[in-house]
Amino acid sequence: MTAPTGQTLTTTVAVARARSRRRSYRPRRAILGATGILIFLLLWEGASRFGLADPRYLPPPTEVIPRLFQVLAIGDFWVAVGQTIGAWALGLAIALILAVILGVVIGLSPFLRRFTNSTVEFLRPVPSVALIPLAVLLFGLRIEASLLLIVYAAFWQIFIQVLYGVADVDTVAMATGRSYGFSKWQRIRDIVFPTALPYLMTGLRLAAAVALILAITAQLIIGTPGLGAEILKAQNGGQYATMYALMLATGFLGILINMGARILERATLSWHQSVRGEATA
Amino acid sequence: MLPDASAPLNTVSHGRTLPEGETLLSVRGLQKIYETDGGPIEAVRDLTFDLGKNELTCLVGPSGSGKTTLLKCIAGLLTPTSGEVILDGKTVTAPPKKMAVVFQEYGRSLFPWLRVAENVELPLKNQGVPKDKRATLVAEALDNVGLAHVPQSYPWQLSGGMQQRVAIARAIAYQPEVLLMDEPFAAVDAQTRADLEDLVRKVRAELGISVLFVTHDIDESVYLGNRVIMLSSSPTVVQEDLIVDLPDERDQLETRSLPRFTELRHHVYEQIQRAKKGFRPDDALAQ
Amino acid sequence: MRKALSWLGFTFGLPVILIFLWWLATTISPSFFFPPPGEILVTFFETWFGPRLWLDVLPSILRFGIGVIIAMVLGVVIGVIVGLNRDLRALTEPTFEFFRALPAPVLIPPLLLLIGPNDAMKIFIIVLAAIWPVLLNTVEGVRAADSVQNETSRSYGIHGFSRVRYQVLPGAAPQIMAGIRQCLPIGLILMVISEMFNTTAGLGFAIIQFQRTFAIPEMWSGILVLGLLGYGVAVVFRFFERRVLRWYHGLKDLENAS
Repeated sequence: MTAPTGQTLTTTVAVARARSRRRSYRPRRAILGATGILIFLLLWEGASRFGLADPRYLPPPTEVIPRLFQVLAIGDFWVAVGQTIGAWALGLAIALILAVILGVVIGLSPFLRRFTNSTVEFLRPVPSVALIPLAVLLFGLRIEASLLLIVYAAFWQIFIQVLYGVADVDTVAMATGRSYGFSKWQRIRDIVFPTALPYLMTGLRLAAAVALILAITAQLIIGTPGLGAEILKAQNGGQYATMYALMLATGFLGILINMGARILERATLSWHQSVRGEATA
Repeated sequence: MLPDASAPLNTVSHGRTLPEGETLLSVRGLQKIYETDGGPIEAVRDLTFDLGKNELTCLVGPSGSGKTTLLKCIAGLLTPTSGEVILDGKTVTAPPKKMAVVFQEYGRSLFPWLRVAENVELPLKNQGVPKDKRATLVAEALDNVGLAHVPQSYPWQLSGGMQQRVAIARAIAYQPEVLLMDEPFAAVDAQTRADLEDLVRKVRAELGISVLFVTHDIDESVYLGNRVIMLSSSPTVVQEDLIVDLPDERDQLETRSLPRFTELRHHVYEQIQRAKKGFRPDDALAQ
Repeated sequence: MRKALSWLGFTFGLPVILIFLWWLATTISPSFFFPPPGEILVTFFETWFGPRLWLDVLPSILRFGIGVIIAMVLGVVIGVIVGLNRDLRALTEPTFEFFRALPAPVLIPPLLLLIGPNDAMKIFIIVLAAIWPVLLNTVEGVRAADSVQNETSRSYGIHGFSRVRYQVLPGAAPQIMAGIRQCLPIGLILMVISEMFNTTAGLGFAIIQFQRTFAIPEMWSGILVLGLLGYGVAVVFRFFERRVLRWYHGLKDLENAS
């Protein structure tokens, strides 16, 4: 088999080898990945059974995993999941709207950017968990307590990314738009938005993870209803297998959210890149 | 004494081999087949030639003639499917100590976190060469390539041509016997390329290194080399092995306007065109 | 002179306005939950510049420091080992991804049972939470080492530990730094939370105690302390990052300029 004409041998070979290396490695990678999980479970089992950790407090996976399936059948579990996702989604949505509006408005004005810079740089690293006592004082066990924490943390992730995105807008494109009589709103819609979109997606992905952490934290510490509260309840009630089962469930929720965010990012960006005519790497 | 323009060209239609005493690098029956999903790709079929001491040999071929594959096999970066590469009597299985490579992508080959002097010094440091000896070698190498004034700069602060000089300095500080250069000036502008070509000739003459220079630029191959090996299209074999009988002292203006230069260049160009059209020397030989 | 004034104006302009608005709001309609800024400032100095500095603040910062340093070292070491080997990467990827997706605070209840509400547990949970961004970023940075750089190393006989030290790690440094940047706020969060469970000292404990006893100005001063801590950590990181990645920033500036 000879190289197709018009393409250097080096490129042809490199592409073909990379492709076949990827394809031929796929089954092996899947098997290794599954083996890795198995090894982890075996270590856990061993630690529990051979007393590396107090077996009362660390039930082995052979107890925890069946318990997980039992828990999945209980209605209350799904209520807790719903409460968790509800707070997460609401907090994320509020943060998104606030961050996009403020991000675009501030991002488009060099004066505002400079004026707000010191405040942003100080407020941004404040750990949102510092607001926990305030949340409890103001809202007690109501969902607003969770929302205060979630919104504060998620807002900064998205806001910073939107600022980067707007800063990345091509000044030449903007000037062109202006010279063709595009209104401010039109320029935002047709130039700023497509440029900032990939950044926004990154911010949303990071914010989604952070929002989940804060939602769970609020439930663990304040006691707002949700998976975190259920975990604490299980611990207090000595139901340790349930506690670990709920932890696993929370982990899977985190994975789902992560995957969802990546799919959304990829879907929006493929549209975005084809509109801009860029070749995908 | 300039060669008579009508004298026949000293060329053979296979790779030249040399008697053992004169050989530095030997390539014997080199073959490389890549296994891919779509079937095997035979990049290089059969390459045989010798490189003598103090030679500057250029390898030219049409695009896709496996030049880089060949160079990587010689450098020990790729394992040939069959055949062997012998340096100083020992078969090459991994990058040998007496060989240095200058890559085309200087931007990616030089380490951007190291300054120029540190880049040049690194292979020596890795070998355990003592500090003062290193400093001497580095200073000499940078001086040789005309970069004595920028040891503390970062490579990316320099122009493309200067970066490639750093890569060359790094190679010669390593004190190799053979210098392999993989289309090193392809990504550099014409003006700079001319300077770098002269630099290679100067460095080789002063340090007595043998150079194997891969290029797709026909003019460059004739100007630079005392020998040009022309490669066929893939699956690659040696199409011709031409001795360049131009005077040793080369000058960009003078040499390039010699009638002999034009003749040699013309011949190489013809051969490459034949190669591009799919001429197979092994078929021709079989007839 | 004008430049200095302009810098002052931009840096302190908005904060001063915001503090002024706060003061105005609390003067017009005093609220139990929102004391005036002056009171918070006074309480801040009273509360934290006494025995609390030694009992709560410093131990907390120490635990945070030890935790994130262990997380960074382990993350980089494991990340390099895993990143260099394709099979190891495949073996560990699903498990690592699960732990990264798992919200770390969820690990506190079991760790409280297994280790107890002591310093070891608090440091352990910080490590357990902060290691993932560093580890996964290191794996990625090592894996994506430039192929030409790899070939250069090979051709000059630079292998093994030397190659990691001189080529792989510096090349992966920008990615690793990004991971460290993510791990610090996580470590801070876990430091605070870990002190809100069954403990008797620490910053987290202090602000919860203030809230429970309705010591409102003290609570706000605690929020201020945590804010300053977060800010301080960010500043230290930026300084450190700028020095380590000086070459990278120089390179990027050049690329952006062209």
